[in-house]
Amino acid sequence: MEPLSWFEIITRVLWQFIPVWIALIAVFVLSIRYKRRLGLYGKLFDSTIGMIGFALVMFWVFTGIFGAMDLIVTHDALSQVSGMKNEPPGTPLMSPDDGQYPYYLFGGDNLARDVFSRMIKGAWVVVQIAPLATIFAFMVGITLGLPAGFYGGRLDTFLSFLANLILAFPVILLFYLLVTPEIVATGIPNYMAVVLFIFPIVFIAVLLNSRYRTQPRVRTPLLIVVLGILGWLYLSLISESGSKVSVIPDFLDLFNVPGGILVVFVSVVFVNSPTVFRIVRGLALDIKTRDYVAAAQTRGEGAWYIMLWEILPNARGPLIVDLCLRIGYTTILLGTLGFFGLGLPPESPDWGTTINDGRRLLQIYLHPALVPALSLLSMVLGLNLLADGLREESLRD
Amino acid sequence: MTDSYDGPILEIDSLSISFFTRLREIPAVMDFSVKVMPGEAVGLVGESGCGKSTVALGVMRDLGRNGHIVGGSIKFKGQDLGAMSPDALRNIRGSEIAMIYQEPMASLNPAMKVGKQLMEVPMIHRGSSEKEAHARALQVVKDVKLPDPDRILDAYPHQLSGGQQQRIVIAMALMAEPSLLILDEPTTALDVTVEAAVVDLVKELGKKYGTSMLFISHNLGLVLETCDRICVMYSGEAVERGSIKDVFDEMQHPYTQALFRSIPLPGADKNARPLRAIPGNFPLPHERPPGCNFGPRCDYFEAGRCDATEIPMADVPGNDRHATRCLRFQEIDWNAPLGKDLQTARSEPGDVVLKMDNLKKYYEVAANVLFGKRGDTKVVKANETLSFEARESETLAIVGESGCGKSTFAKVLMGLETATDGQILLDNRNIESTSIQDRDTQTIADVQMVFQNPFDTLNPSMGVGRQIIRALEVFGIGNSEAERRQRMLELLDLVKLPREFAERMPRQLSGGQKQRVGIARAFAGNARIVVADEPVSALDVSVQAAVTDLLMEIQREQKTTLLFISHDLSIVRYLSDRVMVMYLGHVVELGTTEQVFAPPYHPYTEALLSAVPIADTRVQKRHIVLEGDIPSAMDPPSGCPFQTRCRWKSRVPGNLCEQEVPPMRQMGNGHQIKCHLSDRELAEMEPVIQIAAE
Repeated sequence: MEPLSWFEIITRVLWQFIPVWIALIAVFVLSIRYKRRLGLYGKLFDSTIGMIGFALVMFWVFTGIFGAMDLIVTHDALSQVSGMKNEPPGTPLMSPDDGQYPYYLFGGDNLARDVFSRMIKGAWVVVQIAPLATIFAFMVGITLGLPAGFYGGRLDTFLSFLANLILAFPVILLFYLLVTPEIVATGIPNYMAVVLFIFPIVFIAVLLNSRYRTQPRVRTPLLIVVLGILGWLYLSLISESGSKVSVIPDFLDLFNVPGGILVVFVSVVFVNSPTVFRIVRGLALDIKTRDYVAAAQTRGEGAWYIMLWEILPNARGPLIVDLCLRIGYTTILLGTLGFFGLGLPPESPDWGTTINDGRRLLQIYLHPALVPALSLLSMVLGLNLLADGLREESLRD
Repeated sequence: MTDSYDGPILEIDSLSISFFTRLREIPAVMDFSVKVMPGEAVGLVGESGCGKSTVALGVMRDLGRNGHIVGGSIKFKGQDLGAMSPDALRNIRGSEIAMIYQEPMASLNPAMKVGKQLMEVPMIHRGSSEKEAHARALQVVKDVKLPDPDRILDAYPHQLSGGQQQRIVIAMALMAEPSLLILDEPTTALDVTVEAAVVDLVKELGKKYGTSMLFISHNLGLVLETCDRICVMYSGEAVERGSIKDVFDEMQHPYTQALFRSIPLPGADKNARPLRAIPGNFPLPHERPPGCNFGPRCDYFEAGRCDATEIPMADVPGNDRHATRCLRFQEIDWNAPLGKDLQTARSEPGDVVLKMDNLKKYYEVAANVLFGKRGDTKVVKANETLSFEARESETLAIVGESGCGKSTFAKVLMGLETATDGQILLDNRNIESTSIQDRDTQTIADVQMVFQNPFDTLNPSMGVGRQIIRALEVFGIGNSEAERRQRMLELLDLVKLPREFAERMPRQLSGGQKQRVGIARAFAGNARIVVADEPVSALDVSVQAAVTDLLMEIQREQKTTLLFISHDLSIVRYLSDRVMVMYLGHVVELGTTEQVFAPPYHPYTEALLSAVPIADTRVQKRHIVLEGDIPSAMDPPSGCPFQTRCRWKSRVPGNLCEQEVPPMRQMGNGHQIKCHLSDRELAEMEPVIQIAAE
């Protein structure tokens, strides 16, 4: 068979993405139709920049999801096909089996794996980890930033000092330290996970308790159920048989997060939460002077109710914008970690690892590194544009 | 420049301005005409949203990206501003037309010394040398009566007080000796006594420099004191214009009349002659009714005539340049007396509910926050020996300017702070050292507060109904969600809001409606004592009347004790039974409303009474202007707190005022004054406000 021309490659790639296009069009049509009723999200569709950003982000989100459902991918991301090593885009397979896709659309890498399929599988890694890790970082930052801003005084001085200390620490060095086998053997990453992942539970417990404290009959069962589920998830998350932290037996352990991913999570949360802390603290300092906070105080509300139900919802604008930007940073951070081979397994299809794989032969074969690099670039660009659009639209009326 | 020009300085002819949003065009000003003659001061009066500031911005051609002039013309000294190039406009702005804004701190560059900012004006517009500019700046700072001009020129804006900042803004506007000065609510952000001094200054400088003025204000009293002519605006249109005397005494438009009936003038009384709020709401710019904009709220509305066509301005025969936008002005009997149907019985105060005894609140301020453990701490005496009692269903007004300690007092009463010394007795229980966390639910529900700023009083991300239900939850009212919901709807009825509002978000409500929700929330736990911290000062006059009357009505029904904190003496006289005047943490005068508003006065009360502008041409006021600003509570004067600004100080022998805090003196019938003046001097005081015989 003849190799595909560039025009054919593009047509076939676009065809492969059909489910993504359908999903994107559906989202846009529905959103634009009802944009006046959708608050800030709806306003996004008045800004061209915001729409482009949102489209880029949603493209990768849908790609990740459908890719995980094996809809878009043409080949298995890990299997090697003989004779395809470092072949250029559009190369046909030498002897395709029945039902096997007859081309490597974006060529093969140095282990003869399909670059196109690895790109799509890599999107799933990013779409899974980046938002989740960022949200964890936000919960830590919010849980500490609110009391620092609200109470002020020594607590604020202490926490701000701690945040500055972490920010002053070189990030890459920290990652290297965290994945060094000797350090892993001491269990430090696991212990850090134990500490960092407790914050979301504290956050949700305080959130519910302050809201329903006046109705014990609703509060107590609600808290028991929610905390029970969360506690189980928490224990499953941190506990891993064989590691330092192994607190529950295996049959209760719902899922095992590979040690590497846990390290990635811990480092992302550790590095991002001080910045979030500072933003939240600043917002809390501003909002606590409002009359509605005084009104809550004069009816005897507790401090945590005021922080979580009076201050936090009104700080959401800047926080949402920052969340978008920060997911972008986390995506870059994931790329960096993968590039240095930290945390994620070496055969992982994530973009950072694939860029690193392709780097070695960059002067001869461009495509194995270029494809994931452009993917990373477009996704982060999309997140930044989305943040810009949100910021612009939230200021306008 | 055409200095020989002697026609009108500013001539606005059927001006229309619209703002274009992403949804629609919003007409902000329609068919607006006004003429300002040389040396004349014209007042532009109306409620917020009526377009008065848009007119000013239109004159400056500073409407932003969305605003456009869609019709009419603005002529300045005969030249059409609309036809001018941006360069020509820049020449005129600042040198020929100057503008003074509401917020002085926002009009000054905080990173630049005052002198430098002032000198910029002649250096840019006239190419003066630095030396000439400096001399001019010094001269103007002297003109605006600032003490120690050299020091002021060398100061940064944040080193000056609000009053001083506004004087600098005025000085800056006068630097280039403009022909027209536009003042957009120039004193709204200032305290009353400072406001009186600034207004005085503006009037005097206007005469001295022969400047024409366009004075924008919502305060009719202020316009009466400063202007020669007035133009009343409603919903984007001028509804009546004419000389001050014609409009105030022979008003020819129903809106003007309604406006005057809704402000508390001397003689108004909450029981015998209550205020008349204007029914209905201000129409949104895109929901204006056909025909007369005021039609739906007008007592004289005639269907088929008032809502048929656009209504033109018509001249009132017999008066000089007096025009009104009303079809029926010649048919209406403008002197018809108000219906007397609204009278209510005076409620008698009951038992003592709240008693303050020698309450003191001091703050310790560390000089150095980080390492200030030992050594330099300063004591700020926010409240000094407060003693009074408040009875059931009584309104006690607490009057004073910023920094007088009224907010601290409210905080201590609410339990947000604990008292340094003295007692607060609520039903004979001591609560002065119980902070709010330690108070039981009943005590908390009994003492509630209504806040000042309607735009800040509700949590913007929580529905209106939810916020009231939350208060009910906290106060332990109702056993189920359904019961509380029912009670919430009843509370909305109580504050006269439609029940649908429960589902709305605060941003969908107007200022007055938000304030009503705030009141509903305060009364959720059947509060017995309500502290109202300037509840209406941020509202428009017509809404003020409605909210005030609502408070009075709820008070009558629920026999609430109302502690009404305010600086507005007109409204205090209207609604309070007793008045307490505070200055720098001290109570300087306490008595029934009649006692406080009649001589003998404390010298501060006297000045305060004189400072409040009254929108009634029959009222004659003695003119007392206080020198200087309120001293800082960090560094209070020795002896009597008021001695630095008191005009009676020389009458007290032996420099006693600077040495000793005067004792609280009993003047009989519970009237107390904290002053060193002898009985004879006090008895000789003349009333500040007199209503001329009709």
